[in-house]
Amino acid sequence: MKPLKLVVAGPVAAGKTTFVRTLSETAVVDTDEVATEAIGKASTTVAMDFGTLDVGGVPLQLFGTPGQDRFDFMWEILSEGALGLVLLVHGQRPADFPRARDILEFITSRIPVPFVIGVTHQDLEPVWRPDEVADYFGVEHHQAVGLDATRADSAVAVLLRLLALIEEQEGASVADAPGPTPSAGEPGA
Amino acid sequence: MDKQTQLNDVIQGLRSAISELREVLIASTDGLAIAHSHGASDPNRVAAMAAATLGVGKRISTTLDLGEMRETTVKSANGQAFLYAIGGKGVLVLIAQSEANVGLINLEARDAAARLEAVL
Repeated sequence: MKPLKLVVAGPVAAGKTTFVRTLSETAVVDTDEVATEAIGKASTTVAMDFGTLDVGGVPLQLFGTPGQDRFDFMWEILSEGALGLVLLVHGQRPADFPRARDILEFITSRIPVPFVIGVTHQDLEPVWRPDEVADYFGVEHHQAVGLDATRADSAVAVLLRLLALIEEQEGASVADAPGPTPSAGEPGA
Repeated sequence: MDKQTQLNDVIQGLRSAISELREVLIASTDGLAIAHSHGASDPNRVAAMAAATLGVGKRISTTLDLGEMRETTVKSANGQAFLYAIGGKGVLVLIAQSEANVGLINLEARDAAARLEAVL
């Protein structure tokens, strides 16, 4: 079965690298470098995180992106051919939500794929709940999921929600598609 | 002499040693421009791309057990970009015309990267 490529994006310190590390069943390819700016953590991803896992028999490839705008060319490179997007936002950093919205817009304008918004740090208080974040982004409540990116069960739940959305869309596009075309049986078709 | 002056001296030294250079840039490993010559490119974008490229190069080196990653080159139809690791501290970028003298560039740039490591 062909692996399903998913992109994990979001602002700095949302928990993207942690998310990929928690989920991957193979050694994660990461590109952490010492952060020279004050971003609230010691290191930062400069190119990508890459991990793989199997969810319900579906092989998945996770491509985590850098968070800073200056790496937006990596968002573009890593999004190529992706079939779904996990947008992670830090549940305690509402000031980063506008930036997250820009990232969402940047990626979905290039690849119109299904996405879920993962609201991280749900283990902390006070925190924005997924429903509140969904309202902020103007998306359906089922498109936002709360999580603790350090916990596998919690991170997998986000992927399951995304997989359901991808399946739903595929089902819809199959339903929308016209029946067998007259050209189907013609030579060269 | 302050750091910025020392960095600019290294850049000037490279430019006078290699006439075919279009631009020179020094970036931190997390992709911020530290010093650069005047040129047409946006230093902030080049710095981020250089850091990302170096970051992937480092991963290739460790994954394949090749030891410390030192340099990588992008050769294109209308020019070439040379990237040198400055120890673990940064990246030196030289952008040159496609017919530039690669031997001279490597010689000068490796020497410059070693000096930059002492400065940064």
